[in-house]
Amino acid sequence: MNCSELMSLLVDFLGGELVQERRETVELHIRACPRCEVYVASYTQTVKVARALPKCGRLPATFEARLRQLLEPELKARQDD
Amino acid sequence: MVAPIPEKLTPELVFREYAPRIYNIARRMLGNDADAEDVTQDVLLQVVRKLDTFRGESQLSTWLHRVTVNAALAHRQKRANRQRHETGDLADDLMETTAPESAVKRWNISPEEPILAAEQQDVIEKAIAQLPEPFRDVYVLADVEGLPNAEIGEMLGLSVPAVKSRLHRARMRMRDLLAPHFEGELAS
Repeated sequence: MNCSELMSLLVDFLGGELVQERRETVELHIRACPRCEVYVASYTQTVKVARALPKCGRLPATFEARLRQLLEPELKARQDD
Repeated sequence: MVAPIPEKLTPELVFREYAPRIYNIARRMLGNDADAEDVTQDVLLQVVRKLDTFRGESQLSTWLHRVTVNAALAHRQKRANRQRHETGDLADDLMETTAPESAVKRWNISPEEPILAAEQQDVIEKAIAQLPEPFRDVYVLADVEGLPNAEIGEMLGLSVPAVKSRLHRARMRMRDLLAPHFEGELAS
C-alpha cells in the first residue's frame, strides 16, 4: 500500500468499515510511514473537533425575540388546544 | 391512528429546544445568519403546525434534520437563481484528493475528546464556512451532526460512495484550514 491508496481509504478506516485484513494493511502503513501517521492523526482530529462543536447554542437574542413574536399566535393556539 | 404525543413535547419546548438546533444546522450549511434565520422560521412554523403527528422526540428529531436540510437547500437554490456563482464542478476542481506533498505537523490538542475554547470554535466555524457548498453540506451533517452516511445520501440525493467522497475531500480541506491554528512540532 502506498500513501495515496491509504488516503482513499481514510473515510472507511475511521468509520470502522474496512474488513480486518484491509484495516491491518492500513495500520501497517501508518506505523511505517511517519508522514502518514502524523497526517492521519490530524485528519482524525479534524473529525473530533467537528463533533465537539456545540449543536444547540443559544439563538441570537434579537432573532429569538422576533421569532417568538412571529410564532406567538401558533404557540398560543397550540397551548389553548 | 396516530399515538398521542407525550406531554413534554409542547410547542414551547419545541421552540426552546429545537429552534437553536435548526438554526445551527442552517447557519453552518448556508454560511450566514440572515439565511439561517429565514430557514429556522420556516421550519419551526412547519414543526409547530405538525406537532400532533409526531409520536415523540426521537421521531421529531429525525424529521427535523430532513426538513431543515430540505429548507436550507431550497433557500440556497432560490439565492443561486438570483445570483449564479458557485458550482459543484468548480468546487470539485478546488478540492484535493491526493496525499499531501508538503510537510505535516502534529496538532497540539487533546487526542481523545477535545474541549474547544471559544476562539477555537470560531476558527472551526470560519473554516466550515470556507468549504464549497456541496462539501460543506456533507461535512456538517456527517462530522458536526454525526448522521450516518446513508441518511445523508437520502437527504441530499447522493449515493453512499458519493457522500464518502465528498466527506473525504471536505475533511482534507478542513484539516488544511485548521492546521495553522492547531499544529505544533514537525513530523520527522
